Amino acid sequence: MTEGNGRLERAIDALKEPVQLGHTFDQRVMAEIESGPEPRAWAYRFWAILDWLKRGRPVSVSPLGGLALTAGIALVALLGRSMLESEGQSTPVAAAAYGSVVQFVIVEPAATAVSLVGDFNDWSAAANPMQRMAGNGVWSVTVPLTPGRYRYAFLVNGSIWLSDPSAPPTLDDEFGRPGSVVTIGEL
Amino acid sequence: MRPGASQLVSALALVAGINAAAGTASAQEPRLRDRLPAPTRIAIDAILDSAHAEGLPTEPLVDRALEGASKGAAPDRIMAAVQRLWGELRTARISLGLGSSAPEIVAGASALRAGADPDDLTRLRELRTRQSLTVASATLADLVAVGVPVDTAVAAVIALAEGAEDADYLAFRRNVERDIALGASPVSALGVRLGAAAAEALSNIDQASSPGPRRPRKP
Repeated sequence: MTEGNGRLERAIDALKEPVQLGHTFDQRVMAEIESGPEPRAWAYRFWAILDWLKRGRPVSVSPLGGLALTAGIALVALLGRSMLESEGQSTPVAAAAYGSVVQFVIVEPAATAVSLVGDFNDWSAAANPMQRMAGNGVWSVTVPLTPGRYRYAFLVNGSIWLSDPSAPPTLDDEFGRPGSVVTIGEL
Repeated sequence: MRPGASQLVSALALVAGINAAAGTASAQEPRLRDRLPAPTRIAIDAILDSAHAEGLPTEPLVDRALEGASKGAAPDRIMAAVQRLWGELRTARISLGLGSSAPEIVAGASALRAGADPDDLTRLRELRTRQSLTVASATLADLVAVGVPVDTAVAAVIALAEGAEDADYLAFRRNVERDIALGASPVSALGVRLGAAAAEALSNIDQASSPGPRRPRKP
């Protein structure tokens, strides 16, 4: 056995000896814990900050600042709307919506042109021409609407009037053509 | 043109002419200019002036005239439709209160057209003092349009009046329509959905009154 091996065996023997804890060990551990940061303090602070953020407070904005804020909000809204339109994911049903942009849809595979006409566009066939979606006969258009109740109809090929099968019909047929109604709730 | 309607158009045109001569020239609605013949347009302008003076929204009247023109209706028919709507708007405004918004008045007029009594609108206003009545009144008209008897529709809308939000009314109407489309009779569809709404309201009350942990109230 070499000198090196002897040192190794002594070290192993020393490690095998049980550790003797002092009689003050528990007290020292508890003192260390109590002096450290309280685990729930961070959680409390997080909720306090969240509560502060949620709480209403008066804000004063200069006219120029207000203009900039309004422009920013309008930009975000426009970007959001254009994204919705580009993805075709606006309000799904024309019958009744609860927002400001409503998607009107009709299936007319044989149509060559479809327009949405109604109270919101002076019943003008030129105002809201509908777009045919890829090869399936579905025509669609989105229209921004303020809260209220609107009468409308689909004008197919410039001469055929159709109501919206997914919306309530108009109560009467005063002009001898079918129509539908859409109601937009308050935001 | 029917004789009665023709005389009406002439009389209204005469009133408009007298007003113009007296220096109270009636405003001309430019959107009607290329869409209606001159006598009809003048008569409708006179109605618009009167409606405006009464504090009524005039846009629905213009819309109705444009709808008639776009659909190729005869002038007397357009006049009759505009005049009928004028009366309904006036009644709706009185029933709902003079401070009612234009969308509320329009929706109230549609409820009257559906057969609701003016007192029903007043009752609805009393029950929903803080919310808009646009969707509630429109729901009433829409339920009648899909076949629900008017008395039943009125009862349902008023039953929901105190607790329902606009979204609840819209969902209620959609559900009734869906049930009807699936084959239910309008009355039974409405009854089932009204029962479901009542059960949900009771459940909410039970939850609110239970002694268990509650979500903190919003300030």
